[in-house]
Amino acid sequence: MSPPPATSSPPLMIEARALGFTRRDEDVFGPLDFALRGGEIGLIEGDNGSGKTTLLRVLAGLLRPGTGTVQVLGAQPGSEEARASTIIMGHLLGLKADLSALENLRIGMGLYGRAADANPDAILARVGLDGYANEAVRDLSAGQKKRVALARLALLPARLWLLDEPYANLDRHGIALVNDLLAQHAAAGGAALVTSHGAVNFHQGVTCTVRLAA
Amino acid sequence: MLPVLYAIIVATLFPFALGPEHALLARIAGGVVLVTVLLAMLLALDNVFRGDLDDGALEQMLLSPQPLSVLLAARMLAYWLVTALPLLLVAPILAYMLGLQPAVQPVLLLALLLATPLLALLGIVLTALTAGTRRSGMLLSLMLLPLAVPIVIFAAGAVGAAQQGLPWIAPLAWLAAALALALVLAPLACATALRIALDT
Amino acid sequence: MNAFKLWYHKLGSPPYFYVFAGYIQPWLWTIAIVLALLGLYGGLVLAPPDALQGDAFRIIFVHVPAAWMSLFVYGVMAVSAFIAVIWRPKMAEVLAMESAPIGAAFTLIALITGSLWGKPMWGTYWTWDARLTSELVLFFIYLGIIGLYHAFDDPRQGARAASFLAMIGAVNLPIVHYSVVWWNTLHQGTTVRYFGPSSIAPSMLWPLLLMTIAAKFYYGASLMGRSRVALLDRERGKDWVADEVRGGDVHG
Repeated sequence: MSPPPATSSPPLMIEARALGFTRRDEDVFGPLDFALRGGEIGLIEGDNGSGKTTLLRVLAGLLRPGTGTVQVLGAQPGSEEARASTIIMGHLLGLKADLSALENLRIGMGLYGRAADANPDAILARVGLDGYANEAVRDLSAGQKKRVALARLALLPARLWLLDEPYANLDRHGIALVNDLLAQHAAAGGAALVTSHGAVNFHQGVTCTVRLAA
Repeated sequence: MLPVLYAIIVATLFPFALGPEHALLARIAGGVVLVTVLLAMLLALDNVFRGDLDDGALEQMLLSPQPLSVLLAARMLAYWLVTALPLLLVAPILAYMLGLQPAVQPVLLLALLLATPLLALLGIVLTALTAGTRRSGMLLSLMLLPLAVPIVIFAAGAVGAAQQGLPWIAPLAWLAAALALALVLAPLACATALRIALDT
Repeated sequence: MNAFKLWYHKLGSPPYFYVFAGYIQPWLWTIAIVLALLGLYGGLVLAPPDALQGDAFRIIFVHVPAAWMSLFVYGVMAVSAFIAVIWRPKMAEVLAMESAPIGAAFTLIALITGSLWGKPMWGTYWTWDARLTSELVLFFIYLGIIGLYHAFDDPRQGARAASFLAMIGAVNLPIVHYSVVWWNTLHQGTTVRYFGPSSIAPSMLWPLLLMTIAAKFYYGASLMGRSRVALLDRERGKDWVADEVRGGDVHG
């Protein structure tokens, strides 16, 4: 599960020990042990209802862990240190429909800051939204909305990405784009945890798999 | 603009219900305008977090490294600017149509200027508490009523005193003191309420 | 001290509390009923009619304890709510939320008996008297707390949100009371004073005190019963509930 210890291992991004979550006294996911370091991409596998989204929300600090402990960048999930370097992309993308793609990116930068060499226009072009910068998000297709969210991901300085079904709604090029962004993020020392229900299109560089039983 | 329209409709109905007798309308004008403005603000309160909750923007706000209370303070200011400020603009017109003496108009406006931000601050704290529930309009009115009672009493008290030519500063000073306190505490309470309601 | 701490922690665990509450509940009921019967006998039979109000005053033996309890229960609820919000123990949530309907019932009784008393005293069932108005607002606060609790799918989440509302209400309540008193004196025309400077006779006082204490024991008994039911419902997935239910079943 975890890679062999290197001579100078990159920093721990997530460390979960016997992490479990219960909702109304029913176990959502059982005790989990896993660790994710900088430069690693983790995959969360499991069927519908196995608690993938819940796990990501616990790691983001949106839900309190039920049992066990979990640390994100050495801090409690949801603490200020953890929030500064974590970003979650869920089923709800968190884009304001009335604002343009560019304005939505600006909101993200206002809340999180901006990665060192990132430029909103260049990133919009990279995700294939050249010419859509001033289009209201309401008028974009589902796939294009997803691309705006991906652009935000690349634009912000978060080191840990929590991606819930990032491939949903995307065409072949979009899937390649996600893989591309992930590879680049890992190369820069970031880490990502990605959920998928079974059939995934992701091959390269998965270094850790967390399997959830339904 | 919906709250403004709503306030105009409600205020217009009063003369039809009570008769066009000038003295009676003039006596209740201040109170009618105050209650009307309060109800119109309540109308928009339920939507304060609804949109952000539905599209996931609220989660992004919760998870950003910025202090949540500051973000919520901005949200409160925005709500007041969008909902209460237009109401403040039509309130003198409504009061005039109901026959409030022109000399009392400044007192009414001052009372509204203090009461509406107070209502906005307290109302949004309560709205945050209901953020995790599905439909909350009626519940929100029930929750807000006990908090609104002192505000209405002091605001209407000042207007009533001014109508009778009595000193009206004291109740407004109480409102101002409550507003100063709420400006500091409400954003913090709202952040706590939101985290409770969304279970983080 | 250590024994007390241990007992406190034990009481915080639902199965232990369930057994403990089941044990003391009959005692609380017995004391409440005995005291209430004594108090009612003293108040309705032994106490002489009032010089001014005749027999109408006898409603105070219900009205006054209910009005006191409406605030007392709120106090207990607010303290439990505070603990529930800050430290999140399950039992504090249960006690706060199960107190709310009892408090609302006491408030409603105080309102109804108050207005019944108002008819012979003021000639009307309702007047915007400062105390009655405050009591009415208190009733709305209770309803808001109960409503918010039930608006959530998850009872624990609902309990925490409603507890926070109870804390806001605790701050708001004195403000409401003083603003209503001020409002009432402002509009002198409608004020009716119903308590003169008269002191209460001992023959009326002891039944009143008995009724008040009976009401407190009734609250305790009712709270224990409600909490037991709430615990069974909330913990229905747990083993101890299954054991409890099976143990009570004759066919086992």
